[in-house]
Amino acid sequence: MPPNVPTLDFRDFWHIAPAGVLAAWGLVVLIVDLVLARKRSVDERRRTIGALSMVGVGLALVAAAGLLALGRCAVEHFDTVSNLVGPSLAEYFGRPGGTILLGTTAANFQTDVFNVLYVILLGLVVWISTSYTFTDNWGEYFALLMWATVGMMLLSASEELVMMFLALETMTICLYLLTAMEKSRRRSAEAGLKYFVYGSVSSALFLYGLSLVYGLTGTTQFDAIRQALIDSDPGDGGIAGNLAAASALLLMLVGFGFKVSAVPFHQWAPDVYEGAPAPVTAWVSTGSKIASFVVLLKVFLHAVQPWSHPSNQLMGPGWLALVVVISAVTMTYGNLAALAQKNFKRMLAYSSIAHAGYMLVGVAAVSVSTRGVEAAGSVLYYLVVYAFANIGAFAVAAWVVRDRDGDQIEDLNGMGRQAPFVALCLVLLMLSLIGIPPFAGFFGKLYLFLEALNQGESTERLTLMGLVALGLLNSVISAFYYVRVLKAMYFREPSGARLRPPRAAIAAPVVLSAVVVTVFGVAPTPLINLMKSASAPMLTAVQPASELVPASPAPTPAPAVVPAPAGAPVPAAASGVPESASGLAG
Amino acid sequence: MNSEIPLNWFLYFAAASFSIGLVGVLLRRNAIVVLMAIEIMLNAANINLVAFWRYGTPPPGAGPLAGVILALFVITIAAAEVAVGIGLILLCYRRWNAADVDRYDSLSG
Amino acid sequence: MAEIVFLVIAVLGLGSALGTVLARNLVHAALYLIAFFFAVACMFVMLEAEFLAAIQVLVYIGAVAILLMFGIMLTRNVQGDDTTTIPNAWKVPGLFAGFCLFVVLVFGINNAVSPSSRGKWATSTNRPSIVADAQGIEAAWMTERRDSINDMARMVGYQLMTRYALAFETAGLLLTAALVGAIALAHREEEDPAPGRPAGTAASADAQNGPRAGGAPAASTSRR
Repeated sequence: MPPNVPTLDFRDFWHIAPAGVLAAWGLVVLIVDLVLARKRSVDERRRTIGALSMVGVGLALVAAAGLLALGRCAVEHFDTVSNLVGPSLAEYFGRPGGTILLGTTAANFQTDVFNVLYVILLGLVVWISTSYTFTDNWGEYFALLMWATVGMMLLSASEELVMMFLALETMTICLYLLTAMEKSRRRSAEAGLKYFVYGSVSSALFLYGLSLVYGLTGTTQFDAIRQALIDSDPGDGGIAGNLAAASALLLMLVGFGFKVSAVPFHQWAPDVYEGAPAPVTAWVSTGSKIASFVVLLKVFLHAVQPWSHPSNQLMGPGWLALVVVISAVTMTYGNLAALAQKNFKRMLAYSSIAHAGYMLVGVAAVSVSTRGVEAAGSVLYYLVVYAFANIGAFAVAAWVVRDRDGDQIEDLNGMGRQAPFVALCLVLLMLSLIGIPPFAGFFGKLYLFLEALNQGESTERLTLMGLVALGLLNSVISAFYYVRVLKAMYFREPSGARLRPPRAAIAAPVVLSAVVVTVFGVAPTPLINLMKSASAPMLTAVQPASELVPASPAPTPAPAVVPAPAGAPVPAAASGVPESASGLAG
Repeated sequence: MNSEIPLNWFLYFAAASFSIGLVGVLLRRNAIVVLMAIEIMLNAANINLVAFWRYGTPPPGAGPLAGVILALFVITIAAAEVAVGIGLILLCYRRWNAADVDRYDSLSG
Repeated sequence: MAEIVFLVIAVLGLGSALGTVLARNLVHAALYLIAFFFAVACMFVMLEAEFLAAIQVLVYIGAVAILLMFGIMLTRNVQGDDTTTIPNAWKVPGLFAGFCLFVVLVFGINNAVSPSSRGKWATSTNRPSIVADAQGIEAAWMTERRDSINDMARMVGYQLMTRYALAFETAGLLLTAALVGAIALAHREEEDPAPGRPAGTAASADAQNGPRAGGAPAASTSRR
């Protein structure tokens, strides 16, 4: 018998219930489609299978919300919870959040909140998908949508390189397939292949970077990587003169840059956004972006954070300088290129590249800010707001494709007259994307840029001020192309086929997103607070806390049931790290 | 086997294979060859992982087999990737009658 | 002795990798790729990961390479046509980029500064011992390492069922998704041609004529 096999706590599997439900429901949908619905017409199958998928999304929502509620209430209302799920489970859920499954996966407030978010967004995407027929493989289509979501959930929960790489690949491979699902159109297949080629090359580069990180630190767990880097000899200056570490960082940046579509790794994005069916584009531009940004924050601001700017100069050796440059280039390029676009989805692609640039400002800010947790919270807030605005916009794109068989901006002509209410909602979404008060997009940018300015006196401050100024300038530029959409809707004569009234499948997501961006614009505080408290467990030890963290975690024997990652951050947060503590309070 | 080979040799081999794979991705236009070049790059990373596993000492709590397990999953992922890639290439081939990435031209800009 | 074996394998492996990338004929490229996979499997054996070497042979040579062969056959690029050649304009910059990457990586490997407590890559010529030293003291990881080398299949199994349980499940899901999606995409429904999908049928009928290398370039250009 092998010695020292660590034992799993099987209650840990409760935490991945939403992902499990979606994975299983994908199979159900597939089988039902194959067995029962084969004889029906494509449109009928679309509605039946779509409705069935919505049931699965509902179940997953119950699971995700239930976990969130359990996690929140298990301490305060112990007795109620105990009656509900039994004392053992109640006690289990009452523990402070940490890692599960021997440190490979996180289960905390952040993952619970994001699971709910993914399920809600997935619900909207599934709903949009039922609006028109673009494929005849409906079973496969909905199953892959759900499995992509499973990938996203696990990606943003991963605490370890193995889990992260697997979840990343699960997500992207499902998205490659979904992109090519509109088999009757050439451009869908082409977009799928381009996405695949660029994506696989970038994940090969990414994997090589991961292998170098593993070689340098000897471990695959984020927190252990961080500890190894912190414990290293301060004299060796981080990555200065360490070409292997620099290559590792560069390769990892390529991988993440591809996933969040940052310049110069963005080439796939316009083609994929234009070629993929509109609901799939919605999911590529929101779900995969959220998950990639969450894991980007985790890796760069937790695992390899000691490499961010080791010499205490912002533009010194370290990933921070690169992120600053990439961010500046990304937002400028995205906005300028969007100005020239005639295709609505392609314009949104460049706008989403630009938004990735803004969010990278936030990533840079988290690393240098004295309020890392708040800064990360503002990135998350921005992500949520951006996601809802984009889902709504792509729902409109789906509608235009359905009725006018085209997705140029001029296909929106006259929408203001033919469907005033939906057009008004799109106006709200566009205003939010520009960042005009009082919509949520404005507060997203405001919080992001304020956090970027919120640092001590140093050279960093000047560089980030420049970055913020560039961001503001870019917001002004972005107004021009978003306004072109409004102009088409209201000041152009209706052209092309008359838009049929949108059914619930299109109207509801648009209206819901408009409501979300308006409500969280008028009252941003609850959401930003939620996101800040979600970002706390994600980056508990975000500060360069080499002296604050009690010397490296005690060398636990191998069969540690709760390994290092669970142990290290929690004491650091609880034992009065000033910044982290203030972050939790705020 | 009593070890006589330094760690560096394996790393050089991996680095060379990785570079060759990247050259293949950059130079070739045929989608299937690009796929093969990607496989070469993944294999290079796998050699790195296994070499680091064998020559390094695991820190506490990391598990005895981290590098090998990651390499194992990479093999799995590569299999899935190839299946998906061949599917997509066939799909495109039927539309354009060419497996050449440059030929696909319905999207531009 | 081991060094000579390593060098032979490395030269063969790199040669076949180059062959894959440069071969004009796609079937030759695939055969070179198989040789490369085999060289990698040999590397795994030299790293005392025999189980992984077996998996490498089974999955890569047994499945991936065969799948690639099918892909080559189905796209009729057997003899190589104008799409498989390398445009000259790209040749020099591409090779130069690859060479630069290699040089950077070699320098990186040579001067890699691991966090203290971990040996430098450049100086680690000996593998950590897996047997107890003279005093009979051995660390916990040594025992585990010995077990994992001597009985890797079993140790991998235990790891997959404990620490990597979720990753294992995810890998299953990934394979299912890839299977389902790839079939859905590559599947041709010729028996019941639904209206509105004429695009695929013409090309697919053409593809059934079998691998005719000569016809491919002409057909592909005329169809653009």
